[in-house]
Order: sequence, then structure tokens, then C-alpha cells
Amino acid sequence: MAHLGPGKAASSKEQTGLRYPSNGKTIYHRPLNRTKTAELSQSSFAYLFSEMVSYAQRRVTGIQELEKRLNLQGHPIGLKLLDLLLTREPPRSQTRPLTIIALLHFIKINLWTHLFGRQADRLEKSSNPDTPDEYMIIDNEPLVNAYISVPREMSQLNCAAFVAGIIEGVCDGAMFPARVTAHSVGGKEEGEMWPGKTVFLVKFQPEVLEREALIGKG
Amino acid sequence: MSYYFAIIGTQDNPLFEYEFGTSKQGGDGQPRFAEQARHLNQFVLHSSLDIVEEVQWTNGQLYLKVIDKFFTNYISCFMTAGNVKFLLLHQPTATAGGGGGGAAAASTRNSTSVGANPTSPQTEEAIKNFFNEVYENYVKAIMSPFYKVNMEIRSPVFRQRVTAAGRKYL
Amino acid sequence: MASSKASRLGEETRMDKVNAELVVLTYGTIVAQLCKDFDSDYVEVNKQLDKMGYNIGLRLIEDYLAKSNTVRRCSNFRETAEMIAKVGFKIFLNITPTITNWTSDGKQFSLVFDENPFADFVELPDDGRAQDELWYSNILCGVLRGALEMVQMQVEAHFISDVLRGNDTTEMRISLIRYIDDELPPEDD
Repeated sequence: MAHLGPGKAASSKEQTGLRYPSNGKTIYHRPLNRTKTAELSQSSFAYLFSEMVSYAQRRVTGIQELEKRLNLQGHPIGLKLLDLLLTREPPRSQTRPLTIIALLHFIKINLWTHLFGRQADRLEKSSNPDTPDEYMIIDNEPLVNAYISVPREMSQLNCAAFVAGIIEGVCDGAMFPARVTAHSVGGKEEGEMWPGKTVFLVKFQPEVLEREALIGKG
Repeated sequence: MSYYFAIIGTQDNPLFEYEFGTSKQGGDGQPRFAEQARHLNQFVLHSSLDIVEEVQWTNGQLYLKVIDKFFTNYISCFMTAGNVKFLLLHQPTATAGGGGGGAAAASTRNSTSVGANPTSPQTEEAIKNFFNEVYENYVKAIMSPFYKVNMEIRSPVFRQRVTAAGRKYL
Repeated sequence: MASSKASRLGEETRMDKVNAELVVLTYGTIVAQLCKDFDSDYVEVNKQLDKMGYNIGLRLIEDYLAKSNTVRRCSNFRETAEMIAKVGFKIFLNITPTITNWTSDGKQFSLVFDENPFADFVELPDDGRAQDELWYSNILCGVLRGALEMVQMQVEAHFISDVLRGNDTTEMRISLIRYIDDELPPEDD
């Protein structure tokens, strides 16, 4: 990661060699909200996603490593969406999340609605007194699992690890460093209402809870 | 008025810097920092980061207004959602006749204008508009899949956009 | 006649939709990961993208046939081009590239992309090489190659310009190599 000392940025400016089309077709010339409500075919997403999974699969050994990799690929998306979605808020509600609850609401409502067209189904705090740093975001039917038929030998794989990575990116970007993992909790029995039900377990770093305690006092 | 604008990453590393002068009240857009002060600007800006850290967890607004003052240097701050800081050091031109903004400093009629008074509501609003426009372009820069967190922003189009925002509002 | 029919097919096709930015960002993270895995060897990244696209193309054709209600084989390569641009791209990327620059033998044409959702948020790395070597949307070439192979056409597809490289247009060149005989497996070259 670039860690420039003061002054370095100044000396290297204007050295870029990028070329741009004369008609000005760059991201900077398009409104940021141009594709805010644009839609594409679900199958396009499914094809890309399953190619991403099978490519990742060839480069790892074991399910844990694969999930870790999918998480890593989601992470930068979360970092980007955090800023993108906040700029799209009306000025009045354009505030940075300062508390865990504000952050989780942003994820459950803004992030989910943007990505999946609906809010996440539930938000829960761990009821275990030993893990006050754990929260759960519950999705009864994650989109990413709707298309991916997981091979039998990988039945433990949850492709929602990609979404977990996106969530983790949002948390890290907002300075609530956390580890986020996806867990299938849907029943396997016949007639089960939500066989793909997934819990995203958000485990915050200790410093997040410490800060939260301080802010609460102040 | 002379300005020094910097985008500071989450590791307190500079991602972008730009020095300019006012384009209001007939200003030519050129900065008029004294040669000695120029070298100090970076340090003044960096020394205000401690204050930003105090404010950022009590105020969830993106625009935090003037957060620090060092002699005649005022520091305005804007925090992105990703906790990257936009810092703008603004310094009214010290002596009348020294530049575009100089004449304004002496006149009462203009004392609330952008070119003269660093804490007037007008200046506050102008800086807010400047930051908002930079933010929109910043988000475009970081949306690229090749942009990694805390990477220096080197796009010349981005620089043009910041320059244009400065000319438009400040 | 074939042209207007193709447009209508593209418009009428209904299906489940997802947020476009989810698709675009997912593609972005795939390309960025490839660049990392192959240490910015962009020639290799192009190959990998083409390969991924080919895999997609092999599976996508059935989906395409079902969604477009196409029952009949295209009678010639020009009709194939129409169906690719006005039905295929319309269904899967909601764009309609322009067909142009046919060779006189009718075996080669270009698709010019006024819009390319994949490239929406992209600025190529400023490393002095990416703009000369990386074809950011190269997966699309593979998709065409794979899908057409499934309907007995061996084609070659590659980009010849890209606005991300500073060109004024984004253009893909597609050449028909041959029609594949039903009985014989496709030959590798």
C-alpha cells in the first residue's frame, strides 16, 4: 500500500501517461448517478459470478480458502459502494455512520436495497454475553446462491462469502474494522421455506466497541 | 485569498495536492503564499489531522467546516464516507494590493465575501460547494476497479475537475 | 426485414433483472483479480478473460435460444450479426452495438459499442502498459466465440479499439472461420 510522505504526491503529479478519447468518454464526463437505477439481466450476473467462483476454485485448495478468496473479491466493492451510496443520499441524511447500529442499518437498508432490490430480512445482536462484538445480518434468500449449483463435494461452500466480503469492505471503509463470514442456516428438509437462508456474522474488532463505549459516555 | 487543497488518506498519507488562488473579485486564480509559507502549508495541514480525529466521531456530517486555525491560515475539512479527508487551507492575502483578493480585505463592503473573510457564511458555503464537487469526482476516481484504497490519485482529468471547481466557487 | 425482426426480438424478451452496478462491479473485481494474479501480465489477462467468456458462451447459447424464441438457424453470417447485436447484446447487456465495416466476402464485420456497461466506472492503470496491452472487456470476445461454436460456427473475435485506451470508439472485429460440420468435433488451430 502506498504510504507517501508529505511532499511526495506533489513531486509526482502531472507525470501521468494516460490517454483519453477526444470525445471525452471518461467516467469524469458522465453523471455519477447515470446507472443508479439501471438494470441488467440476472443471467449476466449469474454467468460472471459462477465464472469467478470456478476460476477461484482452480487457484485454491479447500473450501475455507475459496470462501476467503471470494470475500477478498467482494471487499473492494464494499469500499467503493460506501462512498457511492452516501453521495446518493439526499443532503439531509448524508451523514457518516458513527455507531455500530447506524452502520448496520446502512448495510441492511441502503446496501441491500441497492444490490438486491430489497432490504436484508433481519438484523440481530448476539444474545451471547461472551460475544458482544457479534451482530448478524440475515438474508432468507441470497441472490448469489440462487444461481450457483454447488458441487456435492463442496456442499459446505456458501458463495455468499462474496457478499460477506462486500459487507466487510463497507465496515472497514467506515472505520469499523470487522471480520464478516457467511453461514448457511437453512433447513435441508423437504418443504423448508428458506433452504438458502444465510446469516452474515459480523464480528467487530475490540477497538470498535471501545470507541463506541467512549462515544456513548460523551 | 490563497488556497492549498489536499486529500489525505486513511493512513494520513497525501493522495492529491493542489495549490491555487481565488478567482473571485477579479482574482487570477494564482496562489500568493509567501515563499516561506508555502513549505509550511503541508505541515500546517498535517498538524490539523489530530483535531480532525477528535471531531470525526462526534460529528457525522461530511462537511466539518473550519476545524483549525494557525496564524492567518484557516483549515476547512470534509470527511468522505470512507474516512478520507479533504483539507483546504485558506489564507487571506495579507497586504492590500498584493493580489486579486488584497483589495477586498480592506473594504467593509466586501468583508463577508469569499475572497476576504475565511469564516463568513458565504465562504463556508462556497467551500462546501467546492468540497461537494470534488467529492463527486473523487467517488468517480475510486470507483475504478484498479483504484486501491489510499492510492495516489493521478488522473489528469480529476485534476482538471478540481481546478474547475476551485475556479467556480473559490 | 431480418433487421427489424431482430430488434423486435431484443425488445420483447422479458426476464429477471438485477442492478446493473452489481454486474459491473463484479466484472471489475474479476478483472482486477486477474491483473493481480498474473502480476499485470495483461496479455495473459486478456487470454484468461477470453477463456472465461468462452465458458460462458458455451452455456449461454441455450439461455439465448430460449429467451429469444429462436427456432431457426440463421441463413447467413449477416443475419447472425444482426441477431448478435440486436438480440444477444440486448438481452444480456441491454445495449445494441452497431454493425459495420463488412468485408466484401461477408465474412468479417465490426461491432461498435457506443455504450459498454462493463467500462462504466473504469480508468485503466496508469502504468504505461495497460492502455497498450489490456483489452478490458475481452470477456465478450470469448462469449461470442463460445456461443457461436455451439451453433456450428467457428469465429475469431478481438477488440481493435477501446475508449478506455484513449480511442474514440470501442470496436470488436468478428471473423467467420468456417461452419462446423455437425458430425465432426471442432478443430483446434
